[in-house]
Amino acid sequence: MPNSSSVLTVDDIVRVRRKKQAVQFSFYLVLIGLVLWSIQATIINDTDWDRIGSLSDIGNSISHFIGIDFDLIPDLLGPTIETFMIACIGTLLGLIICIPAMWFGALNVTPYKPVTYPIARVAMTLSRSIHEIVWALIFVSAVGLGAFAGILAIAARSLGFIAKMSAEAIENIDDKPVEAIRAMGGSQLQVMLYAILPQVMPVILGIVIFEWEINIRRSSILGLVGAGGLGLVFFRQMNTFNFPGVTTVILAILGLILIGEIASHFARKAMI
Amino acid sequence: MTTPEQSQDFSAQGDNVHREWHRFKYPGSLIKYGIFLGVLLFFSYSVHYLNIPLERMLGMFGRLGDVLSNRYYPPDLEYIADIDYLGAIIETIQMAYLGALFGIIISVFLGWFSAYNVSPSRAFIYPVARLFAMSCRSVHEMIWAILFVTILGFGMLPGVLALTMFSIGFAGKLFAEEIESVDMGQVEAIRAMGGSHLQVFVFGVFPQVRVAFTGIAIYTWDVAFRAATVVGFVGAGGMGWYLKRNVQQIETERTAAILITIIALVVISEFISAWARTRVSKAK
Repeated sequence: MPNSSSVLTVDDIVRVRRKKQAVQFSFYLVLIGLVLWSIQATIINDTDWDRIGSLSDIGNSISHFIGIDFDLIPDLLGPTIETFMIACIGTLLGLIICIPAMWFGALNVTPYKPVTYPIARVAMTLSRSIHEIVWALIFVSAVGLGAFAGILAIAARSLGFIAKMSAEAIENIDDKPVEAIRAMGGSQLQVMLYAILPQVMPVILGIVIFEWEINIRRSSILGLVGAGGLGLVFFRQMNTFNFPGVTTVILAILGLILIGEIASHFARKAMI
Repeated sequence: MTTPEQSQDFSAQGDNVHREWHRFKYPGSLIKYGIFLGVLLFFSYSVHYLNIPLERMLGMFGRLGDVLSNRYYPPDLEYIADIDYLGAIIETIQMAYLGALFGIIISVFLGWFSAYNVSPSRAFIYPVARLFAMSCRSVHEMIWAILFVTILGFGMLPGVLALTMFSIGFAGKLFAEEIESVDMGQVEAIRAMGGSHLQVFVFGVFPQVRVAFTGIAIYTWDVAFRAATVVGFVGAGGMGWYLKRNVQQIETERTAAILITIIALVVISEFISAWARTRVSKAK
């Protein structure tokens, strides 16, 4: 706006700046008000400080957890392997069911934009917004207790992230190979196989490995709702008040995740 | 960078002799297919080990549809209009807000300590901070919630603490990565002037990462809200407790209604966070 800037006076600038500051100030005021309100609700009203007791009582409850239950270690091997396998198969299944979601959800390849694009987007949002515990609940009621429900829950939860990131990767591809294959008379399928897939494959693999790492973490708690794995052992120890056993299970989970992190680090390095 | 395939390609052009072209040369191809076979074997063995009924896989979708339409279908919308339940939603939002806030405040320092380039002490503080951030991230938020409920009893406070740990794990890593990618020139300048570690962080690093931190902080709040909807499952306050109660009483229609509110709230929070993040990145 060259006209308005030529008649801009110092007063105008000061006024604009004041207004901006006032907006900012009230924004921070609202934020701080929200914090105080939340603190008042959670920490002051809702917490029974008498029951929690003094710091030494808290320390006392924490000290129950110190120690390792060595008798439990042989029983942990099976569930640990199970957890790992649930994460692996769940990620694979998630990748498989996410192929149509990727295809529909990328704007440049979606077959019929007004219908298929929203379907894919809704599926992605649903998958990401529902927590893995809730997914596991739904699948446990559908297929019964056991690892199968866990695998389905992991797959359903992974779909959103993998599909969203992969669709973005597909949207950002270089168009020239697509044009080339089209110019040669290639069908839609051939365009996909020879022009799009080679470009996005490394990106998708990286995303899948990242998701696999997160899925190990997720599959370790699915036992809470009866979907198998280390979570079941964890809750059994918790319910029998065997606190050193709880610590042991957490250490096993940490070990498993560490292995997963190292593996994913090397896998990603090997791909690049 | 010349990959084996490229060098092969060039030599074939150069001496104009017909050569058979392979995408992967001999030792590489063997390793590649070996890994592929190993992964395949592992997957098939795990299907066997976990007793997965593959033949039920196809019929499963029909069954799932049946379950959803027969048992969950008319969601009990009156139940979620209940004033107690609305209170639980407010509690969930408060928990997520506080947990994310505490987590972000701690993560700013943790990110500083666990960023290799500006960490005050590479020998001692850096590994400790790294390990702390990693263990916060590795332990699932439900496990944190259970531990805090065991130590502190039921209520919102353990939920807030569990979400704090979750947010530390989430934001700490992102903050550290952000700090590690800053322009070291300004940091060097302040160091050369004799600035202390704190001054380096406040004047050299923080102005560079301020906008990115705000974006990450908003995203952390969004993710913490998602986690907050279920930490109540183990008694840590919020709407998760309603979810658990109705699931255990097999009140499937009420469960469906609760799930609908969770999805709606998460979608709304996602929109707000996306809007706020674009605002922040524009204001840069």
